[in-house]
Amino acid sequence: MIEIDKLRKADVFSGTIIFLLGIFVVYQAFQMPMQDSYAGVQNVWYVSPALFPLFVGSMLALLGLLLMKTAISAVGKEGIKSVINYLLSSDFFDFLKLPVTIRFYGIVINLLIFVFLLVPRIDFFLGAILFLLIFFFMFYCGSEEGLPSLIYQILAGAFVLLLLGGTGLTEKLDAFLLFSADYLVILYIGALIFQYFKICKSNAQLMSKFKLSLLIGFLAPLTIGIIFKYFLLVPMPHEGLIVSLLDAIWYAEIWS
Amino acid sequence: MQYLERLQTFFEIAGSMVADPMSLAILFGSVLLGIIFGAMPGLTSTLGVALLTALTYSMDTPMAMICLLAIYVGGTYGGSYSSILINIPGTAAAAATAMDGYPLAKKGEGGRAIGLTTTASAIGTAISMLFVVSISPLISKFALEFTSFEFFLLAFFGILISGTLTAPDLVIKGWIAGFLGLFLACIGRDQLQFFPRFTFGITELESGIEVVPVLIGAFGIPQIIDVLRARSKMPKAEKLQRIIPEIGTVLRNIPAIVRSALIGVGIGAVPGIGEDIAGWVSYGTAKNTSKHPETFGTGELKGVIASETANNACVGGAMIPLLNLGIPGSPPAAMLLGALMLHGVTPGPMITFEHPNFILEVAAILLLASMAMWITGMILAKQVVKVLNIPTPLFMPIIGVLCIIGSYSLGLNIFNLYLMLPVGIICYFLTNMGYPIAPLVIGVILGPMADENLRRALMVSQGSFMPVFQRPAALILFIIIVWTVISQFGWYKRLLEKIKKRLFNNT
Repeated sequence: MIEIDKLRKADVFSGTIIFLLGIFVVYQAFQMPMQDSYAGVQNVWYVSPALFPLFVGSMLALLGLLLMKTAISAVGKEGIKSVINYLLSSDFFDFLKLPVTIRFYGIVINLLIFVFLLVPRIDFFLGAILFLLIFFFMFYCGSEEGLPSLIYQILAGAFVLLLLGGTGLTEKLDAFLLFSADYLVILYIGALIFQYFKICKSNAQLMSKFKLSLLIGFLAPLTIGIIFKYFLLVPMPHEGLIVSLLDAIWYAEIWS
Repeated sequence: MQYLERLQTFFEIAGSMVADPMSLAILFGSVLLGIIFGAMPGLTSTLGVALLTALTYSMDTPMAMICLLAIYVGGTYGGSYSSILINIPGTAAAAATAMDGYPLAKKGEGGRAIGLTTTASAIGTAISMLFVVSISPLISKFALEFTSFEFFLLAFFGILISGTLTAPDLVIKGWIAGFLGLFLACIGRDQLQFFPRFTFGITELESGIEVVPVLIGAFGIPQIIDVLRARSKMPKAEKLQRIIPEIGTVLRNIPAIVRSALIGVGIGAVPGIGEDIAGWVSYGTAKNTSKHPETFGTGELKGVIASETANNACVGGAMIPLLNLGIPGSPPAAMLLGALMLHGVTPGPMITFEHPNFILEVAAILLLASMAMWITGMILAKQVVKVLNIPTPLFMPIIGVLCIIGSYSLGLNIFNLYLMLPVGIICYFLTNMGYPIAPLVIGVILGPMADENLRRALMVSQGSFMPVFQRPAALILFIIIVWTVISQFGWYKRLLEKIKKRLFNNT
């Protein structure tokens, strides 16, 4: 939690957002059938689907207002002015460039790319390996200074993947080489490993961290994925190159 | 006679579980996993239960319950390891344990402290089990008299009280979190008329938001972001000597243990309030009632006993409202409720009719889990503390993968992930701004119950709110709710002062 004086200043804004959300919920609730008929049923106000959202929305708006009032009386008009000045000043931009903030970007971007881009399009095993390796390179064997360039790098990779998927190029490539997007991710993983190998090789301690990262980065997704896919019988979100390889091994005739 | 029969059934269930090697293996495995989850700072028992919910989805209900309750019990206890050895509570539940546990470890008595927490936790869990068995039939019988108004008020009370007591900053924020949860619960087609609410044309939202992925997101993602962002190095753990069960110390402190267990059960039974508050309240009570309060904080064994007995007793306490009213007593219990619903068990007053032996099964699992925890703690504590050497940047991302595949596997729906991650990121910001997450989660879980029962109650009364004032249970709940709300305002406190002054002047 942030410090109490900063918190009160933030409360003015979070209170406003909650108040607006409450108003939005109430507005949406008024669009629902109140007294008119829906699906052949004549409504009365107390059976209406709007009743509960109306209650929740008005409570949110009320509590948002109360929070705003409490926060404003704690920080005063001067406090709000100072926040607005801060948001417009270079201090705020400096905050956005602080190492701790950059770490936050790195974590959120990696999570967003994994969930919204890799999980639906790329073989789960490959996606998870890439996700883990990026985190390990960011926070375990990589340096603080190297973090921004790694973030740009993964954003660029995500852009390429998005472009291929968006333009339908992946389907065309698949006609020549099945699982083409998976091969691209393998190339990307290879390049990332090579890049960090070069960074770590001069330092023995970093090198042992690098080796451990690789070991866990490959083993963990394989273990988790195999448990879910073959023991709990959960089909993977996207089954590509590695899943078909594993399928070929798991269901091979030599076992029967 | 009826009690004897229940006792017999209880021992039969416990006996059949012990006789089945598979159940035993799962029991010990889950307890060990729970201890590891509890011991690692950053991982909580709630997250453990959440992730195991996905793994136990395909198991039958009793087996899944063994797994989930065992990890809950183990996780609550395991937090004490890091509290004692590195002065960082593995879970919030063990925060009070660090006060005296760490000074003990500093003195070279870490083994003694862990032995004591192991025995105290096992006794705490076992005592809470007695309450689950004995109080449940009474509450269940009482709850059968409840009508829709009472259920609506009960759900509303649960959210309010959880918001009031868990808010780290302003109480209003706790309530806002509760209402945000209720708003999330409104999304989807409503249960009575199937009208789509807040779906914005997204078909995946029509069936409402899936509770378990939202819970995984709310508890898992903020934790991952927080731990990785802090980039903090774990301090070196204190040396751990031979673990001694400390049965002599425990026997000398039986009254303190019973008191702490009662506090734990009582706090656990209050909706949405978890083991952390139980630990602190019990620790505070032990300090206040001690003849030598100055020794607390310097390695007082009674302090360790108080917090560890209470936080584990909270597990059973949280089961009481969960099983009999369908209202979770703590955040991990909220996860358990989600898991039970996935298995087709709907906790509430009807549970004794739909699943006659279910409460006894839960009690038997609690008893066996406390024994398994004691045995595992005594034998493996020295090995388990080695996990404290694993760097957090290595295991947190793996937890991330587990959160993601776990959320997906419940319903095999990628949309769950699209929901889980944004909810998690929003919860991260909310936590940082002093909004508690527990009321939000309780709101998501109790929202449908509150909505349906409010409208059903008004349907029966033809739109009249009078039954609230005519039915004693509803009236009591209503008065408590009103009092909970107005007691938070400054004018109420000033009014009380005035009344006190006037009374004082008159006399």
